[in-house]
Amino acid sequence: MDSSFLLSITTFAYLLCTLLYLSGVVFLYQPLLISGSVVGALTLVVQTAGLLLRWRESYQLGYGHAPLSNLYESLVFAAWAIILIYLILELRTRQRVLGVFPALFAFLAMAYASFSTQVDSKIQPLVPALKSNWLIAHVVTCFLGYAAFAISCGISILYLLRKAQGGNPHPRGILGLLPEARQLDQFNYQMIVFGFLWLSLGIITGSIWANSAWGTYWSWDPKETWSLITWLVYAALLHSRTMQGWRGSRVAWLSVIGFSCVLFTYFGVNFLLSGLHSYATK
Amino acid sequence: MQQKKGFLDLLTQNLSSMRLTVLLFLTLAVCSIMGTLLPQGTSLEELQGHYGPSLSWWIDTVGLNDLYRTGWFRTLLLLLCLNLIICTTQRLPKTLKLLQHRDEQISPEKLEKFNCHTEITTPRPLDAARTQLTEVISEAFAPLQPLQGSDAFCAVAERGRWSRLMVYIIHFSVLVILLGALLGSLFGFKGFMNLSEGEASDEVLLTMGKDPVMLPFQVRCDDFNVSFYDNGAPKEYRSDLTILDKGQEVLKQSIRVNDPLSYQGVTFYQASYGSMLKQVEIEIQDRDAGTAYKLTLPYREVVSIPGTHDEIEVMQYQENFSNFGQAAAIVLLREGEQPSGSWILVDMPEFHGNRIQNYRIKVLNIEKGHYTGLQVKRDPGVWFVYIGFIVMLMGIGMTFYTSHRKLWVWASPSKSGKNTTTVLIAGKTNKNSLAFEQEFNHLCARLQSDLNPK
Repeated sequence: MDSSFLLSITTFAYLLCTLLYLSGVVFLYQPLLISGSVVGALTLVVQTAGLLLRWRESYQLGYGHAPLSNLYESLVFAAWAIILIYLILELRTRQRVLGVFPALFAFLAMAYASFSTQVDSKIQPLVPALKSNWLIAHVVTCFLGYAAFAISCGISILYLLRKAQGGNPHPRGILGLLPEARQLDQFNYQMIVFGFLWLSLGIITGSIWANSAWGTYWSWDPKETWSLITWLVYAALLHSRTMQGWRGSRVAWLSVIGFSCVLFTYFGVNFLLSGLHSYATK
Repeated sequence: MQQKKGFLDLLTQNLSSMRLTVLLFLTLAVCSIMGTLLPQGTSLEELQGHYGPSLSWWIDTVGLNDLYRTGWFRTLLLLLCLNLIICTTQRLPKTLKLLQHRDEQISPEKLEKFNCHTEITTPRPLDAARTQLTEVISEAFAPLQPLQGSDAFCAVAERGRWSRLMVYIIHFSVLVILLGALLGSLFGFKGFMNLSEGEASDEVLLTMGKDPVMLPFQVRCDDFNVSFYDNGAPKEYRSDLTILDKGQEVLKQSIRVNDPLSYQGVTFYQASYGSMLKQVEIEIQDRDAGTAYKLTLPYREVVSIPGTHDEIEVMQYQENFSNFGQAAAIVLLREGEQPSGSWILVDMPEFHGNRIQNYRIKVLNIEKGHYTGLQVKRDPGVWFVYIGFIVMLMGIGMTFYTSHRKLWVWASPSKSGKNTTTVLIAGKTNKNSLAFEQEFNHLCARLQSDLNPK
């Protein structure tokens, strides 16, 4: 058994997990939601094993590095972090309905990693620039932040759906199991704060790493700049929530915007800006 | 004068508003986006090739091609600092006053206005109720401190007062980081030096095109090595460096990417490498004299041709000269004449052009060496930045994961008599109200059962 087998099981298991959560919400049936959580937790265990195995395999190949070094590995780790953080949130809040989006995001990340032709799943050796202990610290912190923002985005979408139903405190239909708007807002805020702390740590570790590799802690490269943009959007959100009492829909919209900045920092900079950037280096 | 004061007031008022803060955050975000859409650091000439003259002129004038260094972008950062400082000077005294403030009076009417409040009636007399309240709240929440000056029992308990100050710590850290960046740009430099193996130098060429910086010591590259993985990807770039202080070897260290060398506040980073000509071995035929010699010409060093007063030097080398392959530019120096030279084709030794005046030249061997590209930096501000980072992280953690929670308790003999006591409890938090509500309800439930034994 090798890591790629475990990770392909993971991909399909997250699809199953998403379908269970979704059908639980659609049919208003708690046991489906519970089995969603169980499948999610079991998959997390399989995925953890897959990641650890991949780590070991890289040593067997003579490269020896943590599985956090390229797009494929980062996508797998992103899925892992989303489910881990979500399950902790679920354990604390007992709100299983929130699982639909995190499970979907985790599945999409795994599916993209496994099936896209753009993503190379082979274990590759580390180029000299990545050979540093900061690699683990930087990638882990950033992706914990991204994962929290993904969950917050999911909660925000649920919040906005709920608000679209009007002020009815007990909406019927597929939103019937959703917690109160005020609770959703609170969970959203918790996830944003958590993500903000980790994103700050991620930017800071990246900056210290850049300083030890290239001698500049900040060079306004597109990736850095976009992570700062993301940070500014969430900082604006936190300030307006605390000082101007913004709650609910406005925070939810800002959170969705913030998460799209995360996605752009993650994918957009690689695929769109690199094209624009390449001629300058020719 | 009156109007001027009004303007100043208006300015401070605007600069101290949180709306401006949020606006600045979003403006900085949008401007930064523009900077990522265009490659930074391109010259006007390069722009004109892509965007035409008039659009290029606009881009260059507004500074979109070097956005983060433009005056207006820095003005935005300065505005953010001003906003932050003014907000702090206006709010910090209020927060400190709030923290020093002692509640002198607690009335039932006041407590009932709180979102979180509850009323408990206990069959115990006031003294017993007071003891019990103090015991439970002190144990479960925070020490209950009684207030004087009322017939009823009034007390407060609070936790995490300092939490209200943590946000100022984050703001302070932002200023420290920006100060570090300023110090770095004022008193530091960033540049590069290319050293071939064996070469020593003290000259650093600056990235931002000013006069080179002369270091008070020399750096010598003893060796450069690049190794590759089986699949051809680079594995390691390594330069063995020696620091020479007044001609003495004071430090020997190998540097790699991610593993720089620091000496006297100057840091050397492995940034790039390249290959360069080391020396050329030639056979030189004097067609007039009919003699032939083998000579070794170190790159850019003058060598005399035996038996003559002529000298010869390799000036340049190209890997592929006009599609004829490798070529070396060799110059002949003869007394009383202008130097004359020619590109000697290495891969076509019989080419008729391989000659200078009466000499026919054949390249026998080319020896190449590496040069290493070092990024050189001095940044006295970096420690401010790092301290700012640490303070910021602690500040964010403590701002968001602690809160100032306060309980007010009022107890008095019930109006109905019968030796019962009425207790009113109210609570407030500055953050995370949902969690506090749970804690508050939990505490009240416990008090309810403790004060009403079955």
